[in-house]
Amino acid sequence: MAGETGGEPRAWLAVDETAAAFISRSLSSRPTIILPPPLHRAPLRPGNVVEISGPSNSGKSHLLLMAAVQCILPKEWEGIYFGGLGKSVMYLDLDCRFDVLRLARILRNRIAEGSAHLRNGDFEKDGTKDEFQCSLQNMLFSDCMQRFLYVRCYNSSEFTAALKTLQSQSRSEVLGLGIYFVMIDSIGAFYWIDRASQPVGENKGKSLQSITETVIHEIRKFLQLQPALVLVTKAPIYADGTTTANDFNRGSSKYVMEDSTVLRYSRLEEERSLSFREYMPSIWQSFVTHRINLQVEAEVPSVHENEVLSTYTSEWMQPSLKTKEKFSIVDDGVILAQ
Amino acid sequence: MSATRGRSGGGATTSGCGLKRRNAPQDHEDSEVMNQDQPSTEDWCGRFWNGMELLKDVTEKKHFLPTGLEDIDTLLGGGLRQGQLTEITGPSSSGKTQVCLHSASNIAAKQMGLIMYLDTSNSFSPSRVATIIYGIADLIGQRGFELQPKDARLKSVMKSIICESVFDIFALFEVLHQLEVSLLNDKVNNGGSKVCLLIIDSISSLLAPIIGGKYPQGRSMMISVAVILKKLADDYNLSVLVTNHMVSAGNGAVKPALGESWKTVPHVRLMISRENNICTATVLKHTLLASGRTAKFVAPSQMFGGSSPRRP
Repeated sequence: MAGETGGEPRAWLAVDETAAAFISRSLSSRPTIILPPPLHRAPLRPGNVVEISGPSNSGKSHLLLMAAVQCILPKEWEGIYFGGLGKSVMYLDLDCRFDVLRLARILRNRIAEGSAHLRNGDFEKDGTKDEFQCSLQNMLFSDCMQRFLYVRCYNSSEFTAALKTLQSQSRSEVLGLGIYFVMIDSIGAFYWIDRASQPVGENKGKSLQSITETVIHEIRKFLQLQPALVLVTKAPIYADGTTTANDFNRGSSKYVMEDSTVLRYSRLEEERSLSFREYMPSIWQSFVTHRINLQVEAEVPSVHENEVLSTYTSEWMQPSLKTKEKFSIVDDGVILAQ
Repeated sequence: MSATRGRSGGGATTSGCGLKRRNAPQDHEDSEVMNQDQPSTEDWCGRFWNGMELLKDVTEKKHFLPTGLEDIDTLLGGGLRQGQLTEITGPSSSGKTQVCLHSASNIAAKQMGLIMYLDTSNSFSPSRVATIIYGIADLIGQRGFELQPKDARLKSVMKSIICESVFDIFALFEVLHQLEVSLLNDKVNNGGSKVCLLIIDSISSLLAPIIGGKYPQGRSMMISVAVILKKLADDYNLSVLVTNHMVSAGNGAVKPALGESWKTVPHVRLMISRENNICTATVLKHTLLASGRTAKFVAPSQMFGGSSPRRP
């Protein structure tokens, strides 16, 4: 950030920045990012680390893709307003489940939507215009897709290597436009492997704690070079009734003496809290600045036959907003329920 | 056809109709090949794909492999996708193995590539496969098949299904490693038809005994298997099909045997259940389509033919 002060070291030394200058500078260099719902509630800025947690199939990756599309779409293109950010996304895939076709579909939909607005406001034209429009759209599509960068990691060392490469790449500006969003899907992917690898002999220092420390260190270093928003997904790894729940069984048995309704209630609560149980080291938890939790709520029959649409709830845990929002996921977007 | 390639070590091979025990590869050849094509660390570090490259890779190399069961294919948007891991779960005798056998037979009959069938519970039935192959109507007319006698046709189809019995996790690791080596060989030699479908029926019977308990090693191995499978799937354009049985979740309900930590592994999860002859398939999870879609269909006669569906 030394570059931002310009080429006047003396001036920089002489007078400290006033608060007004500081706030206007930080507002202009790190503007608030508006993400698609349900991530729109909390104000996010580059440098923040957002953790999206929730069980499998609760829409975490989908929210990432929606945010990615928002980032790679330009704000305005050929007079069409898209409201995007026009910057690059780095997607670190640890789960290896990313499907590019889904990203492509969401993006195409957004492009078509934006163009449709224009056409409505404008005038109807014949087929040649449509063809022209089509090729334009394809150009925009490939433009946007090129801003989406992706790397797949099969273990923790590849993950840290990727983070290191990311830094050197962004320094040498090979990637062209600066990376604005860094996405990690999902952070707990190698938890078991790392936990099981004992710090023996040569392998010393490969425990979960130190790997997490390295990861955080690398992300911090990257963020210093390049202010970016970090979005991380995290899936729970304990189910409600696995043998890891030994403590829970022992703990609840003492409630048997008491009222049976109390038992049932506490059991439920504990089960719920167990499935949320935090497994990342505390250093990771203090690194995260924002946290949102997703849950699958209920299944409601949809308009189509043989199809069930799930509704999901999202709840901001940090900052703690005491509201839950309901939404449902369709093939290419999120619908907020009122 | 290079059906005879693979591991040198032990491991029982089902000696079914037309299934050959595979020859031992020359060891020195393997080591040479490894040096040539093994991507160096530097290579992958530079491997930042952009969206267009990914899209190109998917459209050119990752196709849908039809299972031959139309309703399931429609439900999955075309079948089993190469590069992805598909899981079928369902209660006992709901037809999980039948779907596996059906996919194997269909892809073998259509000559789309080799099929590697890892059998953990001796449920692979060559005669079942034969019945299914006879039942595939559009076989006739392909590459002069009609000219061949029935047996010769069956034999040539059967040759492209490689079946191997795997009874524990360590054998699985070894088989997967051998598979990778042989795929690497194929890639270098540019030779013949390649394995395009890997079936593990059932993976839960290998993984369930090792997970749980106080120590993380079991789960670590489970995730390692998952990572290896996904890596193979992506690097060599394999489609991986695994089955997961169901266990009681209390209150008479059932749940897939592999729990929360496995849930994040498969790209596609399909649950099937059967009542009499009506099958219900539900998409629990899909990377491309919204989940929750179901399809009801009458079990095709060749799917549950005969009086005993499992082992005629």
